[in-house]
Amino acid sequence: MLSISDLAVSIEGKEILKGVDLKIGKGEVHVLMGPNGSGKSTLAQVVAGAPQFKVQSSKFKFENKDLTKLTPDKRAKLGIFLGFQNPVEISGVSVFNFLRRAKQSVAGPVISIPPASARSRRSSKLDKKSIGLLRAVGSPSSDATRNLSMFRQELLEYASFLKLGEDFLRRAVNEGFSGGEKKRNEILQMMALSPKLVILDEIDSGLDVDGLKLVAKAIKQFRLNDTGSSLILITHYARILKYIKPDFVHVMVEGKIVKSGKMNLAKEIEEKGYRLWQTV
Amino acid sequence: MANGIVIPNDYKYGFSKPENYVFKAKKGLSKDLVEQISEMKNEPEWMREQRLRALEIFLAKKMPKWGADLSNIDFDDIFYYIKPIDSQKNSWNDLPKEIKETYDAIGIPEAERKLLAGVTAQYESESDYHTFKKKWEDRGVIFCDMDTGLREHGDFVREYFGKAIPPADNKFAALNSAAWSGGSFIYVPKGVSVDIPLQAYFRINAANMGQFERTLIIVDEGAYVHYVEGCFIAGARVRTDVGEKQIEDIAVGDKVLTHKGRYRSVYRTMKRPYKGKVFSIKYWGDSKSTLQVTEEHPLLVCRREVKEYRNINFTPEWLRADQVEEGDYLVYPIHKKETEKEIIEKETVKTVLLRDEKPFIYNYKPSVSLQIPFGNGIHVTQRSLDISLDSDFYRLVGYYLAEGHVDNDHYLTFTFNIKEKNLLNDVKVLLIRYFGKEALEGKVRNSGQTLTLCSTLAARFFRREFGSTNRTKHIPGWMLESPKPHLKELIKGLWLGDGSYDVKANMFRYNSVTRPLVYGFRDTLLKLGVVVSINSQKRLPPKKIMYTVIISRTSNTLFGQIVGKSATDGRKEGSPFYIDENYVYLPIKSIKVEDLNTDVYNFSVEEDESYVAEGVVSHNCTAPVYTTDSLHAAVVEIFVKRGARCRYTTIQNWSNNVYNLVTKRAFVDEDGTMEWVDGNLGSKITMKYPSCYLRGKGARGEILSLALAGDGQIQDAGGKLVFLASDTSGEIISKSISHKGGRTSYRGLVKVIKGAQRVKCNVRCDALILDDKSRSDTYPTMKVDEDNVRMSHEASVSKIDADKLFYLMSRGLSEVEATSLIVNGFIEPIVKELPLEYAVELNRLIQLNMEGAVG
Repeated sequence: MLSISDLAVSIEGKEILKGVDLKIGKGEVHVLMGPNGSGKSTLAQVVAGAPQFKVQSSKFKFENKDLTKLTPDKRAKLGIFLGFQNPVEISGVSVFNFLRRAKQSVAGPVISIPPASARSRRSSKLDKKSIGLLRAVGSPSSDATRNLSMFRQELLEYASFLKLGEDFLRRAVNEGFSGGEKKRNEILQMMALSPKLVILDEIDSGLDVDGLKLVAKAIKQFRLNDTGSSLILITHYARILKYIKPDFVHVMVEGKIVKSGKMNLAKEIEEKGYRLWQTV
Repeated sequence: MANGIVIPNDYKYGFSKPENYVFKAKKGLSKDLVEQISEMKNEPEWMREQRLRALEIFLAKKMPKWGADLSNIDFDDIFYYIKPIDSQKNSWNDLPKEIKETYDAIGIPEAERKLLAGVTAQYESESDYHTFKKKWEDRGVIFCDMDTGLREHGDFVREYFGKAIPPADNKFAALNSAAWSGGSFIYVPKGVSVDIPLQAYFRINAANMGQFERTLIIVDEGAYVHYVEGCFIAGARVRTDVGEKQIEDIAVGDKVLTHKGRYRSVYRTMKRPYKGKVFSIKYWGDSKSTLQVTEEHPLLVCRREVKEYRNINFTPEWLRADQVEEGDYLVYPIHKKETEKEIIEKETVKTVLLRDEKPFIYNYKPSVSLQIPFGNGIHVTQRSLDISLDSDFYRLVGYYLAEGHVDNDHYLTFTFNIKEKNLLNDVKVLLIRYFGKEALEGKVRNSGQTLTLCSTLAARFFRREFGSTNRTKHIPGWMLESPKPHLKELIKGLWLGDGSYDVKANMFRYNSVTRPLVYGFRDTLLKLGVVVSINSQKRLPPKKIMYTVIISRTSNTLFGQIVGKSATDGRKEGSPFYIDENYVYLPIKSIKVEDLNTDVYNFSVEEDESYVAEGVVSHNCTAPVYTTDSLHAAVVEIFVKRGARCRYTTIQNWSNNVYNLVTKRAFVDEDGTMEWVDGNLGSKITMKYPSCYLRGKGARGEILSLALAGDGQIQDAGGKLVFLASDTSGEIISKSISHKGGRTSYRGLVKVIKGAQRVKCNVRCDALILDDKSRSDTYPTMKVDEDNVRMSHEASVSKIDADKLFYLMSRGLSEVEATSLIVNGFIEPIVKELPLEYAVELNRLIQLNMEGAVG
């Protein structure tokens, strides 16, 4: 699904990633661990297409498409999703409005309003008054209205699953959200957009035990619904791995993946830390 | 017609001079001119004197130096043009001789001539307007244009006119006071609450859109009003990508043909009752169409250089309907091939179409692979059909549109006259080639013979793609984008099926009862450089109207080559038409002016803001277009009495060569509330600071100001709050966006006089700058002469944050979508105060302005 070879990334002349190799297969769960400043978040951002990084790689592909020159929106349309470590505030834009646009962008017609020509043609046998009426109230039979309200319903279910209040969809994106709400909002977006490759950057930081359980449960549920989606978890701690069992664990230190293994590698790190691989 | 400041012709009284109007010779504002305006309007003496005093003040005052650079305004170069009402010149005999001859030559039926001689149109006047009007009139509400107000409520007007904004206030207020024309007069009596926004539902007359309009609003004690500042008559047919639609049926999302010869989406529709002049315009080349528009409606027109002579140069310009004269050329755009980018956009649209009857093809390609539904109900599956869209296929489509139909969704059937055996054979060969199956020949019956192909795939493809009945048959938009050799074959098929050639008259004709087909035939020929005219003939029921397309004889050779006949061209001078690569020019036959009470329709179109209705290009009304720099200097005075409330909403979208210098002021008495919602998107330079003079205890003033400045624009906006009494409160919220090198300024004044106790005031101004070329400044002034006040002032300047962009884009939004979403969020506090339809339009306009702003 995702295959990266010899990826080197720099920002303002400073090299952050120094030759990363990574292969993620369909349906796999990978965990990326490492000390602060090791380049984990940079890797996540580079896969999602953050424009500030200078990227060189002999191979940088998602489902056999070269990612190097694709802008973030194009990557999202391919099915790549990044759950941000520090999501930004977008004032004046409601969560619902934002997700509606995003869904429209990645999934296309599902929730668009069909052109009026389509509507009027279908209703050509109605008299003008009823057409006007239908336009005014939104015909219950109209696919658009139905799809839109279905989408809202779906979001409300996710929100309630994540124990986010009823007015959550009306609030401005991340504005005045608590740390936990911000994280859960990222998960909500993941559920709504059904991506193929999910990268969650420190989704567990800033969450209390209950919050962590909830988020982990939501991730599991999502993976049950969207079988075949792959997951990269970026974390400092092994505690989330109590709930989500990874297929592979990678350790990143100073811009390189220094060791890959299975679950027991995470346990080893939990006990000994990263000292083994660190130069300083 | 250059340098036109158009004073709208709402001079109904004693003012119908012939065309060589005296003012035309004079530019600039003079005492004579002011006196003459006053005289023609039959104004009372005091108004004449006030105008003259204002003129002196205007001439004496210097240009303001503190704001944007206004030194390019040359008042002497402004052309104060007043167009007289044209007498009705629409009888057959009044027509120029040359045109009458041409008319005879192309052989238009007798009935058409009669129609031409006295066009009788039918209008349904909307009762809603009268219901509303009567309801409010019964309660004492006065809502009329300023001239009527002055005439019918003279003393009342005198008491308030110029009292909030005296001529000496500033140079442009003085100019307006001297030369004002149009505008509204509103009085809401004590305790009356007008619960619908005025003007959003009915506008007294179109002349409000003038350049020096004057508005006076008086809201009496305890009353409420919301005034919103701001076309076609029902039945006008508009060209869309799926054929023609009645203007009242046009909805948001429809794609209409614009003056640039391409299809663009409608993003807003409007309907309003209208009382005033309606221009009915008939033109050569299409006897079936009458263009009916309100007097201020902009049309794309090419002026006739010399009366009764064919033009040498053809340069179209936008003109108001009341400026257009008989003999001028209306234009019809020739369909352009869409650029690659546009095609991609259309592809995405394709997946949006959800109805069952969607067509299969959206763009021309050399070959297509189609998925055709097969079977019915729950058994429906898809089968693929590969078709090479070569020129022979276009001929087959031509035959089909002329002679074919679909039976029961399974049979593709053609009916030929027995004399057309060669056509039948041609179709038979083509069907085998494209569908791999031989069609069955029927028995000869009534000198006709059918040819039937039993193929569900072919039948469903043809029915959905090209239509099957007289109502649905059409030439789809993608066909017009095809290479010329293809189009020629399409024409050939159509003409061989339904056309004729009269050797004696050397005239090619094409007949059909299917209107969309006729117009599609015409559009296709225009692309091939062939000029045609369309006529029609009513026939006895149950026969339908027969449309006849006549190929202009100047195109005979060209057309003959297409259909395989040899014919010679007629004389060029004999043709009233002209064609170039962009447009075909159609001279106006007649213009008829009527006073009407009716509904008018209009809509806004993405990017091009124009559309083709009744076969010629028209501009939407909300974005007035002037060919040269123009000046808009309006004055709005509002008096809010004790306990009353008034809200005044404006969204201006003037074209980018207008100086928009407007003075707006409200006097607010005890416990009264004034709210200004002021959006500035258009114009070259805007200087506008709506103000509230809070002169009674407990009065409140709110100013919401929104500005968007793009390339070459300066939006110098803000507001003034003057606290003259105790316990008054006020708020100014200003949001400005600058991009593409545009410049916004917030300029505000907050003043509290000595003795005004416990004043509360909050000012917030936020600026968003989208790129490094753009600029934003803040000029807040506070003069507070009292200690016991609560003041707050917050200001912020921000840029579009790269992190925000990345966050939104990582969810699939393009850079443009992400930027406009951030911008929409930024202005949301103001947008939520607008009536829904305005909010939607504002967001849309901003999004349009943003496109191309980034990347």
